[in-house]
Amino acid sequence: MNRPSSTSPNGGEESMGWESLARAAVDHQVDEKESLLRELLTFTLDEDPYAIPVEWAREIVRLRAITPMPRVPPAIRGVISLRGEVVQVLDLCLRLGVQARQPTRTSRIIVLHGDHGSVTGLLVDSVREVVRVAEEAIQPPPTGESDSVEALCRRDGEFISLLNMDRVLDLGGES
Amino acid sequence: MAVRRKRTRARSKAHSEFVSESEEILEQMREDLSQLADQRASRADPDPELVNRLFRSAHSLKGLSGLFGFDAMSELAHHLEDVLDRLRMGRVTLDSKAVGLLDESVTLFAAMLEKVGDETAQDEAAETITSLIARIDEWTLEPSRDSGQLEELDIDRAMLRALTEYEEHRLRENMRRKLSIYVVEVNFEILSFEEGLAEVSNAIREVGEVLSTLPSPGETPESQIRFSLLTATEQDIEGLAAHLELPPSSVHTVWRPAAGGETRRSEPEAPEVEEKSVPRPAADFSDARGEIESLKSISDTVRVDIRKLDELMNLVGELVIHRAAIASIADRLSADPATIRIGSELDKVHKSLERKIQGLQTSVLEVRMVPLRQVFEKLARVVRRLRRDRDKEIRLEISGAETELDKLIVEGLVDPLMHVVRNAFDHAIEGRAERAAGGKPAEGCIRLEATQRGNDVVIAVSDDGRGIDAKALHERAIEQGIVSSEMELSSREILDLVFAPGLSTRDEVTETSGRGVGMDVVRANIGGMGGFVDVDSEPGRGTTITITLPITLAIIQSLIVSVADQRFAIPLNSVRETLLVDPGEIQRSEGWEMLNLRGEALPLKRLREEFSLGEAPRDSKQYAVVVRVGDARLGLLVERLEGQQDTVIKAIQGPAKNVRGIAGATEFGDQGAVLVLDVSAVVEDAMRGRKAG
Repeated sequence: MNRPSSTSPNGGEESMGWESLARAAVDHQVDEKESLLRELLTFTLDEDPYAIPVEWAREIVRLRAITPMPRVPPAIRGVISLRGEVVQVLDLCLRLGVQARQPTRTSRIIVLHGDHGSVTGLLVDSVREVVRVAEEAIQPPPTGESDSVEALCRRDGEFISLLNMDRVLDLGGES
Repeated sequence: MAVRRKRTRARSKAHSEFVSESEEILEQMREDLSQLADQRASRADPDPELVNRLFRSAHSLKGLSGLFGFDAMSELAHHLEDVLDRLRMGRVTLDSKAVGLLDESVTLFAAMLEKVGDETAQDEAAETITSLIARIDEWTLEPSRDSGQLEELDIDRAMLRALTEYEEHRLRENMRRKLSIYVVEVNFEILSFEEGLAEVSNAIREVGEVLSTLPSPGETPESQIRFSLLTATEQDIEGLAAHLELPPSSVHTVWRPAAGGETRRSEPEAPEVEEKSVPRPAADFSDARGEIESLKSISDTVRVDIRKLDELMNLVGELVIHRAAIASIADRLSADPATIRIGSELDKVHKSLERKIQGLQTSVLEVRMVPLRQVFEKLARVVRRLRRDRDKEIRLEISGAETELDKLIVEGLVDPLMHVVRNAFDHAIEGRAERAAGGKPAEGCIRLEATQRGNDVVIAVSDDGRGIDAKALHERAIEQGIVSSEMELSSREILDLVFAPGLSTRDEVTETSGRGVGMDVVRANIGGMGGFVDVDSEPGRGTTITITLPITLAIIQSLIVSVADQRFAIPLNSVRETLLVDPGEIQRSEGWEMLNLRGEALPLKRLREEFSLGEAPRDSKQYAVVVRVGDARLGLLVERLEGQQDTVIKAIQGPAKNVRGIAGATEFGDQGAVLVLDVSAVVEDAMRGRKAG
């Protein structure tokens, strides 16, 4: 009430004081209840944001020579060699039916560790960051769960598609 | 839930450690027992070290099973230890009953080991254990026959009293065998007496036995300590002193066998010796020494987890890759006149690095090598048991058990080999009447023979049974639609049908064809390890199954080829030759391409098409890599040959599993991964395609 201008919906720069204080207070509260926060690794496919639970990721590596592999589903681009391991690379764009682009300088391979299956590389257009999202901000997609997107998370005014990795990695039986 | 799962996993890991360690001990015990039985059969005195080793093994088993909470097994081992202890002390003699009981205990222990984790099976076995233990107890209560005449020894009584029961037994035993007994007294510097003592003891062992070693109280200079070694030997006093390089005054005679000696030996045992009255102050000391000895005896070998060797192998593999990179830099430098000198210097360094890496590679590979003996002995046991259960007279002849293979391959070999041997036993070798009618000896024979040929090991399993009825086999295969009746098959191709999946699943076929089920599985297992299986058979004379395996899986030589600018590695052990093929030489038949190879038709397969790598210009020159799996040959058409290379095969990780035709991948320094062909799958598919078409 003391600073009416700041409550204006179009407050712009000046509104940051209030809001960030409030958000910090909320964040702080949620911090104490760790279980309510999920950590997600976000990345982009054709400029749209996607995320996987961060605990699936083992490391992120730059694009390197991918050796094509015969007799595998088309979404598997091939294999890379990774310090003594040979790992298949799954092109997430092809897998999700997103417009695939030529790999660029920002392209990365997210290497999943083998706890949930086997070590796999995910080819993405770029990696953004690790974010902590409260459970409340995660909601089912309005169109219902798809084959691979299990939820949407609202963050900074955009929706991040959260992938169900078990389903993404299930390429359906033998090649 | 998660916690419980974790605990189960931890327990099963511990179980597997327990099982593998116990198996190793049991293996040793079986070997020792069979030696012991041999010695008994040849009426030789049982080697005391053999009995001691058995005793230590039983002791370890007891400790191990106790540690892991297998009480019944621990109890069994405890009684086994007890029997061996009595044997070792000479309180009981090694009769056939003793050998039988020992044998039974070891077998039972092994049987329980197989069922570790299966509680009902353990409970069922408990009864067998109880009855066996009861019989052991009964046997050990039988009166012992001990003999000896310690009264006549010219020895310090204190020393005699200090002997442990075992040492005393050895003393009597040596007197019975009419060896002379001496006490050797030696002074050592206190600071280094262990070395000195070990030296003297070893010298004595060259000519006799050290019965006991005790510090002796005599007068010695300040910095010295005196030891008395109670010694049994055939040597006389001068001979012994000379051998030990000691003055004769330091050797005292304790007992000498009476001249013309048979009389004393035949005298009845001296009843006046009362074992129990002998106090044993030195017992603890000597037990501890025994412990140290047993520790020492194993300390020259090291047990290593095979995964650690895999890691080591990986590192060596990476060195190999870096070496290749250095070689290519040296080549580039040498090609440029401006840097040719430094290039050739680098090349020299590279050459010596290459030799060192090869040495390292060889050493690491050698560490992984184990002889086939263990597998062969396992098979021998199975055949012995089958012989008993099935009442069939069949003997197993083994040769080449010392042939060595990579540990992983030996492990993968157990099941297929077991399968082949059981087939020979159950199906190939005829019953008595049939053998007699065929003019064969009543006893059938299965031969197991391993030989090394270059980088391969060849294991042949042959029997003198009825052989494979090729006609019945062929008819059956046609009936089941595996081959078409119009197809002309050579006799080899017909025999090869025993490996066709789905063929031999019906028993009546196998009975008449003389081969059992699951040979397709055998071929798949062996193929998975980069090997081949062949069959050869003569009706009425027998069948030979030949398994060829690479000595090691870890590093293999590969031929690197390229197709559509992509490289592939072909394991060199399946490559027979390579040919430059002019497009005009390729002939066609029913959509099949083939090549006239010295008068024989060599079927061809284009790797480009096999792996859908796009259309190639048909009129360019190609190379045919002639690969052979069993008797099947195939020419793989590729566009370039890039050379040979040491290849470390890695499993490919990722969501697409078991990609047919790809055995794995290998790393290629700067160029990422190169796929390794599974030659036997490619050839098999090609042959099947041909038969179906």
